[in-house]
Amino acid sequence: MKWFPAPRLCFIAAVYAFLLLPIAIVIPMSLNAGEYLRFPPQGWSLRWYVSFLHSEPFTSAFVRSLGVALIVAVLASIIATPAAIFYVRHLRAGREKFRLTMLAPMLLPEVLTSIALLFFFNQFFFGTQSMAPLVIGHVVITIPFVFLTVTSALYNMPPGVEEAARTLGASARAAFRRVTLPLIKSGIVTGAMLAFIMSFDNVNISLLLKPLGTSTLPIQLFDYLRYDFDPTAAAVSTISLTLTLSVVFLIDRIYGLRAVRF
Amino acid sequence: MKRWLFALPAVLMVALFVLIPYLNIAVMSFRTPSATAIYGPGFTIENYTRVLTDSLYLGLLKDTLLFAVATTSICLVVGFPVAFHLARTNSRWRGLLYAGVLSPLLTGVVIRCFGWIVLLANNGLINQLLGLAGLGPYRLMYNPVGVTIALVHVFLPFMILPIMNSVQSIDPRLGEAARTLGASRARSFARVLLPLSMPGIQSGVILVFVLSASAYIIPMLLGGGQVSTMPTVVVQQLMGSLLWPFGATLALVLSLTALALVGLFGALTRRSMRGVA
Repeated sequence: MKWFPAPRLCFIAAVYAFLLLPIAIVIPMSLNAGEYLRFPPQGWSLRWYVSFLHSEPFTSAFVRSLGVALIVAVLASIIATPAAIFYVRHLRAGREKFRLTMLAPMLLPEVLTSIALLFFFNQFFFGTQSMAPLVIGHVVITIPFVFLTVTSALYNMPPGVEEAARTLGASARAAFRRVTLPLIKSGIVTGAMLAFIMSFDNVNISLLLKPLGTSTLPIQLFDYLRYDFDPTAAAVSTISLTLTLSVVFLIDRIYGLRAVRF
Repeated sequence: MKRWLFALPAVLMVALFVLIPYLNIAVMSFRTPSATAIYGPGFTIENYTRVLTDSLYLGLLKDTLLFAVATTSICLVVGFPVAFHLARTNSRWRGLLYAGVLSPLLTGVVIRCFGWIVLLANNGLINQLLGLAGLGPYRLMYNPVGVTIALVHVFLPFMILPIMNSVQSIDPRLGEAARTLGASRARSFARVLLPLSMPGIQSGVILVFVLSASAYIIPMLLGGGQVSTMPTVVVQQLMGSLLWPFGATLALVLSLTALALVGLFGALTRRSMRGVA
């Protein structure tokens, strides 16, 4: 351990505390029996979870966010997976250009993309009266994540198994369905789960593209926190946190978190 | 079946919903304002001259870039040792530590801001702990300090992960070789490890800089209306009024300035990397 003397380890531990404390603090706050966000909590209670369940704006926003995230996850993987296969297996010329195009939505500032889409939908389409612009915005910014996980799954395939299947008499289609697809399935599922999380937590795109009078969970929370904060916000945050962290846990089980690169 | 059909849906999505809207916003920034429609007839460069001569907007631009520079520098100083440790440790907690760096990234930004509000408020955890020591209470949020703390927290993983990747690809024996050949610990770090981890540092710095210059939610929530940056003003302008051409210009001036600084940084660090790479 000569690389890491004690003072440096203390510094590193402090950074981890800095990273995790603001997230962890939300949980005890949500179980607080008292009226205000105070530390330490004055007794324990689930009353703020009950208050969440009775708050129509929060529950409907929760259901809407869940629905949007599911649709986005499915669409992003259906659209990005074939592109990743094309890039790894077939594309010869202009590879770097193609890769940059696919990753562009991730590399451009989300706020700018959001503003650009707001103008675009208002000038050339029907504006933001339905959920369609919001869903399209989410799909566009999650395509790079599916593209990345599927390309890395394709690169990690044992070399030659596809050729082996073809040599043994499988048609191109059968080789793809019976050999390639099962081997890259975990990459697709990981990408879809990342897309789900990105969409479920997204604020930048949703804020400008949501239809008037509706709201997603992060937007509802954002509006709530600008004017007052009681522990209901903590209960909502904890529920949303539990959902995303269980998806992260699933990704880790299926694929290993190390595959998730940014 | 044609192979390129595979890529068609994704390419169409990006072209239609990224490329064209970005071109459109660029055109929009040259439009004339109008009180009744999205924009008036004809084109003008007046939006740009207004942004670049009005001290209000120049001040906003400066503040935004200062936030970005401060956030990036703090992330680099704080993140480098963590990235280095994570790349080199063989602790059995390694997977957990990696998850610790990654999970803040996968938690909603609003929730992370909320956590900081709980910690930094006047009667929040930090002020209460300081109170036990007979200090404070200090005003830690609704000012630039709170915004910077939250910006560093939210974007730190984007600094740690690329540096970690790059340190991992350095052969550990190189550092040992430098030591064996008589270099001091500091010299082996400065002449061997630091230059070799430059690619990771470079991408971390660029990512954090661009992300923090365009951050909107964090200055809104931790600034509590007391802190204005370019993105908060742009979004307010667009949501509240029909000043779209001017809003487009503001957004583009910020993005282009950030891009120019990233280019400058790239040029400066390329020279420092040339000697070793």
